[in-house]
Amino acid sequence: MDKELEHSFIALLEEHQNIVHKVCRLYTNNYDAHNDLFQEITIQLWKAYPKFRGDSKFSTWMYRVGLNTAITLYRKSKRSIKTQEFDAVQFKIKAEHYDDTEEQQLKLLYSAVHQLNDIEKALVFLYLEDKNYKEISETLGISEVNARVKMNRVKTKLKTILNP
Amino acid sequence: MDELELLKKDWNRKDNNSFPKLSYNDIYKMILKRSSSIVKWIFIISLLEFGFWTALSFSFKDFDGFERFNDTDAKYIILGLTVFGYVVLFYFFFLFFKNYRTISVTDSAKVLMENILKTRQTVKHYVAFNLLFMIGSTIIVLFIEFKQDSELIAQVTQATANGNAFMFYAKTIVIVGLALTLVLAILLGFYWLIYGILLKKLDRNYHELKKMEL
Repeated sequence: MDKELEHSFIALLEEHQNIVHKVCRLYTNNYDAHNDLFQEITIQLWKAYPKFRGDSKFSTWMYRVGLNTAITLYRKSKRSIKTQEFDAVQFKIKAEHYDDTEEQQLKLLYSAVHQLNDIEKALVFLYLEDKNYKEISETLGISEVNARVKMNRVKTKLKTILNP
Repeated sequence: MDELELLKKDWNRKDNNSFPKLSYNDIYKMILKRSSSIVKWIFIISLLEFGFWTALSFSFKDFDGFERFNDTDAKYIILGLTVFGYVVLFYFFFLFFKNYRTISVTDSAKVLMENILKTRQTVKHYVAFNLLFMIGSTIIVLFIEFKQDSELIAQVTQATANGNAFMFYAKTIVIVGLALTLVLAILLGFYWLIYGILLKKLDRNYHELKKMEL
C-alpha cells in the first residue's frame, strides 16, 4: 500500500516538477539554494500527500504547498541573500550601458522581482501562472479585494524599481 | 506594454522552463531525506524546553537543602506546588500537541503562519509560567523559612541582637534577587537568540500579510 502511494506520488511530481522549479527560481538565486528549496518542498509535498484527496488538481495543491514552504517553512541560507544583492547591483550597472532591448528589459524585470519581499513574490508568481484573484486570495489567506489592491501596488513597486 | 505582461509572456515560454529535469530516482532519493523546516525545529526545541523544566523540578526533589524544609510548613507548600506544577505541565503538553497537529502545509499561508505562531505561543506561555512559578515559590518558601526555620530564626535573632537585622534581611533579599535575575536574564537571552533566528522570516512575512488586511 505504502509502495503504491510512493509510486503514484513520485510519478505525479515527476510530471509536474516544473511548478516546484518555478517557485525555486523566484525565491532563490543560486544553484545550491534552488536545490535546497526543491528538496524541502518535495519533503513537504510527500508528507502532505496522504491527505491529498484529489478534490483539487494535483498541480493546484502543489502551488499551495510550494509557496507555503518558500514563504513560511524554509529558512534561507545567508549565502543566497548575498548573491541576490550582488546580482541586483550588477544588473543596475549593466542597465546604464545597454540599449533597452527586450532581452535586457526581461533581465532587469527578473532582477526587480527578486528584490520584492516574499509575499509580493508569491503574488507575482501566482499572477504569472495565470491564477485568478480568487485562487490567489485563497492561497495566501487574504480577501480577494486585498489581493487585487496589493497586486496593483506590486506593479507600481516594480515600475519604481525599474525606473527609479 | 505592462512590465508584468512582458514577464508573463517570457515566463510561460516553453524553452524558458528548461530546468534540470529530475528523474523518478532523483525524487525517490529526495523523499527519503529529512525535513529541515522551521516547524520541525520548533517542535524539537519545544520538547527540549518541556524536558528541561521537568528535569529541573525532578532534580530539586533530591536536593539536600530540602531536608531542613521538612520541619516547617514549607514541605506542604512544596508538595502542593509540585502537584500543581505537574498538572500545569500536562495541560500545556496537551495544548502543545493539539496545536502542533493542526499545522498543515495545505492551509492558506496566513492560517499556516498563525498555527505555527500559536504552537510557539503555547510553549512561550509555559516558559513564562515556569519563570513566574519559580519566583513565586522562592518568595513563599523564603517567607515561611524566616517564620519557622529554627536555624534561620536563630541567625535573625543573633543579627537583631547585634543591631544588624536590617542588613541581614537586605543581604538575603539582594542575593536571592540577583540570583533570580541572573537565571531570568540567561534564559530570556537564550530564547531570544533561538527564536529570533528561527522565526525572523516567518514573523516578517506574517506582518506583511497582516498589513494587507488593514
